Amino acid sequence: MNKKLDGFKIPEDYLDNFTHKLMAKISEEGSRETKRDGFKVPEAYFDSLYSNIETKINSPSPKVIQLNPIKKYYYAAVAAVLLFFIGLNLNTTAEITFDDLAISDIESYFEENDLDFSTYELAEMLPIDELEIKDIIDHQLNDENIIDYIDNSTDTFEELNFDPNE
Amino acid sequence: MVSEELLVQQLQAPTTQASAFQLLVNTYKERLYWHIRRIVVDHDDTDDILQNTFIKIFRNIGGFKGESKLYSWMYRIATNEALSFMKEKTRKLGNNDMEVQQKLIENLESDVYFEGDFIQLQLQKALATLPEKQKLVFNMKYFEELKYEEISEILETSVGALKASYHLAVKKIESFLIEN
Repeated sequence: MNKKLDGFKIPEDYLDNFTHKLMAKISEEGSRETKRDGFKVPEAYFDSLYSNIETKINSPSPKVIQLNPIKKYYYAAVAAVLLFFIGLNLNTTAEITFDDLAISDIESYFEENDLDFSTYELAEMLPIDELEIKDIIDHQLNDENIIDYIDNSTDTFEELNFDPNE
Repeated sequence: MVSEELLVQQLQAPTTQASAFQLLVNTYKERLYWHIRRIVVDHDDTDDILQNTFIKIFRNIGGFKGESKLYSWMYRIATNEALSFMKEKTRKLGNNDMEVQQKLIENLESDVYFEGDFIQLQLQKALATLPEKQKLVFNMKYFEELKYEEISEILETSVGALKASYHLAVKKIESFLIEN
């Protein structure tokens, strides 16, 4: 390209690299500006991360030392437990099965113990195939009532029809 | 950049394991850091979980069969570690998970490792009101820019369900931001 000389000059290869540099900067700035969420990390955190992990991997796991006083009573405790169960079995005539548990006992166990199950975990455990809606709800619902209810009580009823190809 | 298959082979061979692991950590540390950070919010907790995640990866890479992609497997470990941590934290504090989320966000305003402006803080507050799954999907789709197919492999959920979760999350965030 012909150009009137005016004395200005540019660094060698500047224009060759310009597009590449600019695009890199735009993508960096762009992602920083639009998707920034405000969190930051301590300076040089990522630089030292590998060496921290390496140290942890190479350090031997600490040995657990058994406290002696417990050892003294260990055998006595085992013997006592054995005797207790032998005594129990002598007095029982039939084996206890799961059916012997009262439903109320199982219910109170679930209520009193923090089993720490999430809703998802409970849902996974429940045999849904054998469940009917009438097992949970006393009133009979027909499809028309359900659709009317969803239509009236949600703003986004139309959007519930998701397009799987979206 | 070495291929994933080759990297796995190097990670499983005793002679190349150390250098391959270093490469693995350096490649994925930032992505996994931000993934965990957006779940647990606090930097120090994130640091602990990130280190545990890489240690678990190192200890279990021998059994990695390549049934899923390496990064999906790593993301899954990081997600499980972070969610277990939050569950434990909620149990210890004796609150429900929503209350714990609210508390974490309240602390953000004085957190030296948070420099978000008003809008960013409002967004975090809105995110704290979402159920765990919706928040996770929103973060992975919006901030981490993962594809639905990738999220599907990591969370082992169908693409349709993910789209529904993301859609609901966006709606809830929108209404939270309008109300507040």
